[in-house]
Parts: sequence; C-alpha cells; structure tokens
Amino acid sequence: MKKWYSIATIIVITVMMLGIAAAPRPAHAVEPIVIKVGYTTAMSGPAAAWGQTERLFFESFVEVFNKKGFKVGDQTYNFKMVVVDNKNSPEGGAAAAKQLVYGDKVKFIIGLWTWNFPSIAAVTNPAKVILMTRTGNEAVPGIYDPKKMPYVVFGNPSEEEFISDCLALVEAFPKYKKLGILECTLGKGPGWDYVLAALDKAGVRYHMEFFPPGTQDFTPYITRYAEAGCDIVFVAGWVGEAMAFAKQRWEMGYKDMKVGHTGPLITPLAYIGVCGKEAAQGLIAEYCAPWDFKKTKVKSKYIKMCREAMKMASEKQGRPYTYTGGIGWFPSHLLILAQAMEKAGTVDDTDAIMEAIRGGTFSTTAGTWTMSGAKTYGSPVVFGTPGALSTIKGDKEVYLAEYPMEPLP
Amino acid sequence: MPPAGIWIDGLIQSCIYMTMAFGMVLVFSILGILNWTHGQFYMLGAFVVYYAFTAVGIPFPIAMLISGVVVGGLGILVEKFIIERVNVPSAQGALYVTVATMALIFFFEGAASMLFGMQEKGLAMVFPGVLDLGSFSVSYQKIAVVAFTLVIMIAMYIMLNRTKVGLAIRAAAQEPDAAGLYGISVKRISLLVMGIGCALAAMAGSIMAPVYAVNPFIGRIPMIMSLLAIIIGGLGSLTGAIVGGIILGFVNSVVAYRLSYFSEVVLFAFVIIILLVRPQGLFGDPLK
Amino acid sequence: MRYIDYKTLLPRSVAGLLVAPFLIFPLFSTNLATLSMFILSGIWAIAVMGFTLILRTGQFSLGQAAFMTIGGYTSAILTVQLGWPFWPSFLLAGVVSGIIALIIGSVVLRVGGVYFSIITLALGEVVRIIAMQWEPVTRGSRGLGTAPPDPISLGGFEINFAASAVPYYYFMILLVAITGLVFWQIGRSRLGGTFFSIAANPILAEHQGIHLMKYRVIAFTVAGVFTGFAGSYYAHFLSTMTPYMVGLWESIQIMIMSIVGGISSLVGGPLAGALVLYALGIYLSRLPVYGIQQLLFGAVVVLVLLFLPKGTGLVDLWDKFWRKVFREPDFYEIPSEEPSQE
Repeated sequence: MKKWYSIATIIVITVMMLGIAAAPRPAHAVEPIVIKVGYTTAMSGPAAAWGQTERLFFESFVEVFNKKGFKVGDQTYNFKMVVVDNKNSPEGGAAAAKQLVYGDKVKFIIGLWTWNFPSIAAVTNPAKVILMTRTGNEAVPGIYDPKKMPYVVFGNPSEEEFISDCLALVEAFPKYKKLGILECTLGKGPGWDYVLAALDKAGVRYHMEFFPPGTQDFTPYITRYAEAGCDIVFVAGWVGEAMAFAKQRWEMGYKDMKVGHTGPLITPLAYIGVCGKEAAQGLIAEYCAPWDFKKTKVKSKYIKMCREAMKMASEKQGRPYTYTGGIGWFPSHLLILAQAMEKAGTVDDTDAIMEAIRGGTFSTTAGTWTMSGAKTYGSPVVFGTPGALSTIKGDKEVYLAEYPMEPLP
Repeated sequence: MPPAGIWIDGLIQSCIYMTMAFGMVLVFSILGILNWTHGQFYMLGAFVVYYAFTAVGIPFPIAMLISGVVVGGLGILVEKFIIERVNVPSAQGALYVTVATMALIFFFEGAASMLFGMQEKGLAMVFPGVLDLGSFSVSYQKIAVVAFTLVIMIAMYIMLNRTKVGLAIRAAAQEPDAAGLYGISVKRISLLVMGIGCALAAMAGSIMAPVYAVNPFIGRIPMIMSLLAIIIGGLGSLTGAIVGGIILGFVNSVVAYRLSYFSEVVLFAFVIIILLVRPQGLFGDPLK
Repeated sequence: MRYIDYKTLLPRSVAGLLVAPFLIFPLFSTNLATLSMFILSGIWAIAVMGFTLILRTGQFSLGQAAFMTIGGYTSAILTVQLGWPFWPSFLLAGVVSGIIALIIGSVVLRVGGVYFSIITLALGEVVRIIAMQWEPVTRGSRGLGTAPPDPISLGGFEINFAASAVPYYYFMILLVAITGLVFWQIGRSRLGGTFFSIAANPILAEHQGIHLMKYRVIAFTVAGVFTGFAGSYYAHFLSTMTPYMVGLWESIQIMIMSIVGGISSLVGGPLAGALVLYALGIYLSRLPVYGIQQLLFGAVVVLVLLFLPKGTGLVDLWDKFWRKVFREPDFYEIPSEEPSQE
C-alpha cells in the first residue's frame, strides 16, 4: 500500500509542477503610463453643439485606443484628454492654450476649430508644445512661418479642406455651371486668396459672397447667386446658415440650386426639421466615415476602432451616434502622435518627435500618407483628409463623391 | 431695380420690425421705459410655439395665441415683480430699469440655452409649400407673416381707437394723472399694456419661427432693429413705429442686396445721422 | 487719553486688510486661472470707472466698448504692424482713444438722454465694423496677434511677462491704482463737483454759468483715455485683438457692473461691481452647462437691484455696514429715540 501512496504523491506533484509551468506568467504588471494631451474646441456658444458631439466620440475613441495603447520600447502608454473650452474665438483660444500649457502642463495639444490658430500657436511654440491643428485659416505662406512656429503639425487645414471639397464637387457634378461660395465675414482673410488661387488653377468657375454674422435672411445672397448663374452654392462651414440658405432658396423657387457646406452633417433629421424634407434633399456635406471611401484606403484595424468608438458613443448618449465628423482628424492625429513617438523612441522630447513627424509616413483613420507639403506652406508637416462628400437622400446620409488628398501645388 | 424677391423680403422684414416696434412703443408710452428684453420675448415666443406645435401637437394658429398669452403673462410678471420694484421715481429709476431689462436679456438667453439647447430647431413643416407667381415664388409662410401683421395692426387699431380699454390706454399714456382722476387704474392699465406689448413680440417670433430657424440667440437682432425703427419713427409715436418699421425693413433688404454685408454700416450710420440731426425721429415730440 | 478717530480709522483699516491680500496673492498661488480672473476684473474695473465718470455728468454711454477696441487696436497695430515696443504703444493707445473721445464727444454730447445712449451704442458697432473692414491695417476678422511686453530688467532681477501671469497681475494693480487715484481726485475736486451739478440740475447749472458741453466732453475724454488703456492691456494680455472681443454686449455689461457696484462712488463702486460680477461670471463659465453663466449673471444682477435699497449699489453696503457698527442713524432712517452711545 505504501508504494501506491508514494506513486500517487509523485504523480500529483508532477501534475502540479506541470500546471504551474503551464500557467501564464504573471505579466510584469507594468501599468501603462498616461500621457496628457490637451484638446481645445468650442464647448460654449453656438458652435458648442459640434464641440460636444465630437468630444463624445473622441473620448470613446481614446478609450478604445487605450485598450491596447502603444509601446515605446518596453513601456506601454495611454493617452488622456484634457479638455478646455476655447469659446470659438481667438482670445478664448489663447486663454485655453495658456491653461493647457502652463496650468495642466501638457506637451501636446490637438484640435482647433477655426480661427484661433495664431493665438494658440503664439502660446504653444515658445513652450515647445506640439500643436496638431485641425484647421487654420492662417495656415498660408506669409502668415504661418515654419521658422517661428516649428512645433506645428497641420492636420486638415481648412484651405485644403475647402479646395478638395470643391474638387470633389466638380467630380460629382461635372456639368456644373458655376460654383457659389458663401462665407461669413468672420472668416475673411488671406486664406481665401490662397483657396481661390488654387481653384483658379484647377479651372473651377466660382462666385464668392460674404455675409455678416447673425444673418438669418439670405434672400439678397440667393438673388445674387442666381443672377451670377450659380447652380451649386457651397457654404464654408456655417451649418445653421447653410440650412437657412437651403430652405430659402427652395422657397424662392430655385429648386435646382444645389446647396452644401464644408464640415460634416450633424444628422439629416436636423436639416429636414429646419428646411423641410424637400428642400433638404440633395444637401451636400463632408463625409468622414472611412469604411465608405472608394479612393482612399484605410487599414481595417482603424476602421474597426472607429466603429467600436461610435458604438461606445451611441451607448453613452442613449441613441445612435451617426456623426462621422471627427473621424478624419482627431483619431488620426492621435495615431500620428503615437506612431511618431514610437519612431522617435521618446514621449517627452518634442524636438525628436517633430523630427520623426517630418517627412514620415503614417497610417491612420484617414488613410496612409507621407507628411509633405514643402511647397504648400514652406513647412514639411502637412497632412490632410480626403475630400469626401455625402448627400441627404430621404432621411439618410449617403456617400456622394471623393477627391483624394494630394499635396496641392 | 432689385428683383421681386428682394421687395418681398423687405416686406417681411418690415412687418416684423413694425410689430416689434409697435409693441415697444406701447410699453414706452405707458411705462416710460425702454424694454431691452423685448427681443428675448420674441425668442421665447418662437420657442413656445415650437414646443406647443411639435411636442404637444397644438395646431399652429392656436399655438401662436397660446404663445402670445404665455409670454405676455411672463411680461406682466416681469413688470410687476421686477420693473415696478426697481423703478424709483427719479432719474435713477430709468437707469435701474434699463439695467434690469438688460440683465434679463442674459437671463433669458441663458435660460433658453439651458432649457432648450443651442441647436437650431426648425418648423419647416408649418404652412409648407410655395406660391408660384411666374418669375418668382413666395412661400406660404411668408404670406402668413404679411397676413398676420395686417390682422394685428387692424386689431390694434380697433382696440386702441374703438374700445373702452383702448381709450383708457390712450388716456393713461397721455395724461396719467388726469386719467387716474377719471377712475382709470393706471397701474392695471400698465400691466395690461406690458402684456400686450410682450405678446406682440412673442407672436412676431412665433409667426417668424417657421421662416427661419429657432435658437436661443434669435432675439438679439430683432431687438436692435426694433430699437432702430423706433428711433427712425420717433420714440413715443405709434405711427412712427409703423413707419419706422417699414422704412427699416425695405432699406435693410435693398441695401443688403446691393452691398451685402455693408448693410450693417449703412443702417447704423443712418441712425446716427438721424439722432444728430433730428433726434425725435419722424413723428416724435421734439425735445427741449 | 488721546482722541483716536476710530470712526475713520476702523473702516480704513478693515479696507486695508481686505485689499492687502490682493497685493501678496501671487506669493500664495500662481494659479493661472485665478490670476487671469483678477487681471481681467481689474481691466474691466477701469472701463467701468470711465463709465461711471461719464454717468456723473448725467449721461449713459453705451459705447465704452468702442474705446476699449480703439485702445486695443492702437497698441496692437503699433506693436504688430509697426514693431513698436509695448510701453510707448500702450501710452499712445490711451492718447489716441482720448483724442477720438474728444472729437466724438464734441459732436455727440449735444444730444442728451436716451438718444446719446443709442448713438454711443451705434458708434460702438461702427467702430467694430471699421475694425473688421479695414483689412490692411487691422487684418479684419482674424485680428492681430499681440506679443507680451518685453522683459524689463531691474538691476539683476528681470520681470518677464512671457513666463507667467504674475507681472501682468502687478501691472494691473498698478494701473488700477493709478486710475483709481486719478478718478478719486477728480471726484473730490471742484471738477467733480461741477460734473455732479450738471447731472443733478442741468438748467440750474447752465444758469450759473457752467458750460455744460465743456464738462461733459471733459468727462467723456478722460473716460476715453483710461478705457483706451484698459483696452490696450486687454489686447496684450489675451495675446490677440479681434473686432468681436469688445462690443455691444460688453458695453452693456460695463453698464451693469457700474450700476450694481454703485454709482455713488467713482472708484470703489466700479471695483466692487467688476470684481463681483466678473469673478462670478468666470466661476459660472466653468460649469459645463452652457447658458447657466448667462442665466445666473442676469439673475444676480436683477436680484441685487431688487434687494439693495433704492439708489444704492454694492459699495453703499460698505457705508451702511459701518453706520450700523457705529450705531449712527442711516440717511434713510428716522433716528431712534435713544441717543446713540459713544
């Protein structure tokens, strides 16, 4: 009997040892280090609806991204967004930038809305904080100076955005007569000279008008466009105004005049509510959902991340989240930052990271691109998103046309 | 010669500014105060009609009346509890009332932003469709605005000139003390007039809600415009309000057509010149 | 025992105790947000002082924002387009603003009352539109990006404006103190008395040989100069100057701050009004719900107006408090039967 006990004991011990050997080694349990990234957008004021909608998606995307994080060397890193309201104005932008740089001590700031680029850049560059800007009406030669502002990465500058949108429009409607461009006086500036020159070069026929902020009544402008022979009117980003324009042009009898705006659709139902179902049909806006792109290839893993983030956002807000607006930039900026840090081997040294960004090739939610733009701004850090457009059909948003992003002359 | 669309647009603008200015002058004649919150009542009227129509499903004309009553009531409350308390009988009083009504601008805008959200809301489904008139077309919504203004102006005329209440109002406006001696409760009349003035603003906002969009900030421009209309027409004068509204509406529309965004400058310069040359406007009483 | 005038001494010492923490505040906290709040309150306080001075002559100017814009643009244009250093630009901003106030005032102050207010309001908008259209100089809607003042070396110690907000804070205190001193002196002088008499009874004043226009224009110009300084400082602190920064609604806010603070005092009132309302505004704007800031701002102003005794502002609460403490009869109360205790 004693022999069986000893054999049994040996077997048990052997099994136990094998089991222990096979058990997963407790991971080095290295907590991912969190890197703070500043994010500033319009959280108050009339543009806040967009700022808050996008914020929901971005926070979800950061959560999805942090599930795997990214590695530099052995250490895993996660991002954390620090959000500050920039009140959609230059002085708000300066205040927000100061808060982020000196108060929260971030080294990276992502996201601007429109015209606060110069005031934010004036704060970030001396402090060597990398600024990845979504748009910048100031991103034109003569105003943006790569020597004075070496820590700026342009992702989706509004000039490029508008130009590629117009080119996409021309592709979608090759038989158009004339393109009407409508912008608020707030956005007047040399950026427009740049855009119009590029349109001239591409042979686009256009007529441009400005309206003062707060205008609700577009009758005079519609009349002028009709007199100028415009059959497509494209509004530079002012959604409420574009809605009003679409409604009023329908009522005035110009039912063949197509209307669109840069910037993504908030949701087709909002437009239908303001314009009426008929007037809202065919309204054109930007489309950033990478899974629908025909000419731009986005890696499937990024498409998956975006879809997951959208689902998360839907759950958070309790109803389907359909806004595709932010996909083309914030996630792609974050991915550029992560990939640049991996390349440079550091998460602190902003000089090294900028070096890695310059001329580097990055694969993100907006495709795979090589950073280049030496001729565009004199700076080798220009990015962009494809000019993809969607249109309202019934009460849904459908893909319309696409103009792939190329470094423009 | 601007095309028909511009003239129609001018007409619409005139109607609204006329109605708003009329309400403002009514309040000014009796209460002696310039109600800076007038624009916000316009905005609130639009919101009430929006929710009454979309959320509760009340037919639009009735919703408009409801909004007039509700916002008019709100105006009366504001008058009773704030303005009267603040209005000391001295130069200071006018000052305090001005500040209070200005503060209320922010209050109502903030409240609307919080309660209703800042997103544009549309009422395009009300009176949809267009009337084709050959070279141009007019939406039924705009026709409704003109119709509404006609009805209101006729109603106001009848009320002020043919009813006892109207007589009381006119008496209280011209000679409050004498009116008091005749048994007219000036206090009650003041409240009534405030209610009517604010109701006018609210209904103007309601009838315009389908034409443009509804958001918490739509009160600002109508306020400034009705102020300008009153200046042009003359501060104490009802006829002045109407004429001022008409002039302002058409000038704004035609100038905007010719000069697009320069219309702002032209309007303000026009008003400054009037104030320097003939401050009492077209129909007002000359100041000493 | 020597007579100590405790009735003057006590309030002043308490006032000093309340003011002193402001002077040494940066030693305890260099929190950017808090410093910004104080700096901006100070800037607005100066503008409000200007408004109150004009109010002393019986006029409501709803266009003070215009002078802030003019001052801001002057110094911004001088520093950015012409490359001047900050300090001369700052001084010139006040001068230019004053000159324009002089010119405009001479034309416009003839009209009185409500009409004057509306003209100033219209002027505020006209200035904004000019700033927006005069592209080559003001760069239109995009505005001008201003730089911090250059570092000042004092012996071995350098005051660096670019590094933190503390130098801005102290300069603001200096500016407020100087403005306050000037205005206080005006208030106490014969000039101030003349202003008051014009407001109280213009007809009588005219009969007494006081040239109404002259004094109104003086008040308007002085206010214009200091408001121009405030505007210039504002532009440089915020690193930018755009046509939309100070406009119609800001003019209205200046008026509100003045009335709530108390118009009986040329310095204390504006300071109280600006500090309380502006600080309140900043705290409220941190709340995530948009709209609550405006709502509470409006509500607070109305409540203050309702509950303060007629004709007083926050600053008068100070006086009332001390009267209560010394058990002196209030101006508005009938003295009680017992003589007050000494």
